[in-house]
Amino acid sequence: MNADKYKHISDQELLGNFYATHDAEWLGILLPRYTLLLLGVCMKYLKNEEEAKDCVQQIFLKVITELRKYKVEYFKSWLYMVAKNHCLMKIRDRHGKIPVELTERNVLGAEEQADKLSLVQNDQTIDLMNKALEELSPEQRQCVTLFYLQKKSYQEISDETRFTMMQVKSYIQNGKRNLKLMIERKLKNGTRQ
Amino acid sequence: MAENLKDILSHLSSEIDQETLLLYLQDKLTAEKKHEVEKKLLDNEFAEDAVEGLQSIRDKQHINYTVEMLNRDLKKKIAKKKERMEKMRIKDQPWLYISLIILILLIVIAYIVIRKSLPG
Repeated sequence: MNADKYKHISDQELLGNFYATHDAEWLGILLPRYTLLLLGVCMKYLKNEEEAKDCVQQIFLKVITELRKYKVEYFKSWLYMVAKNHCLMKIRDRHGKIPVELTERNVLGAEEQADKLSLVQNDQTIDLMNKALEELSPEQRQCVTLFYLQKKSYQEISDETRFTMMQVKSYIQNGKRNLKLMIERKLKNGTRQ
Repeated sequence: MAENLKDILSHLSSEIDQETLLLYLQDKLTAEKKHEVEKKLLDNEFAEDAVEGLQSIRDKQHINYTVEMLNRDLKKKIAKKKERMEKMRIKDQPWLYISLIILILLIVIAYIVIRKSLPG
């Protein structure tokens, strides 16, 4: 089967075809869509290219076996969870420690996305956002403003602020998370009053 | 400005194709495209973890080759599995059992006929 021929078919449809026919070739089209991501996740945890490659192959086999056993609704989230758990298991085997295993609860689900969407659609949000932005630490405010409002890349922000790329990324991530929490809190307080 | 602020809370269309991600890792994107990828990465935990790992690979040009090799290996394994399944399926074919029953019946009939045709 030629993967390009199936480019227009969604993951869900490919998975549906696999469940309908039990033909693993459908997974041969679906899984390569995630090879790069899987390699990256394995590299992040294992820090060794050869081990990461082996790990990706093992994850492929695990996925093919597991998908025959039960039905998966959100393939991408599930695959991410399988990959992370497999890496954690590898690390445990290496060090004899027991890392915390992920459950589907840890992975962003459709419900959480819907919550975020309602937050975006809320009319009050923009006003609150401006106020919340002022409450961030100066570093977080600077990076969030440069990234989201001036649409600059991490590299440009790093050049401009003299923060390292890792710092920039961290300030944006934390700033974004803090903004969401502040707005949720403000909206909650607003509805109570 | 207000629209840009909304981006901070939005969680829509955070999919990044592998080709773009590779170009990002190889530092071959414009600043504008880079920003787009980074914005999507902030909403895509899977891709963000992956980028963190892929950035630690020294030879970024080699990543594509590694991915191709992994995909080729996957294809081979799936083909092998399929072949094995096909063989098992042949064993499960009902016509095989029917043929065997007919053959056994023919042998039994032949035995009876031979026994009856024997003198005494």
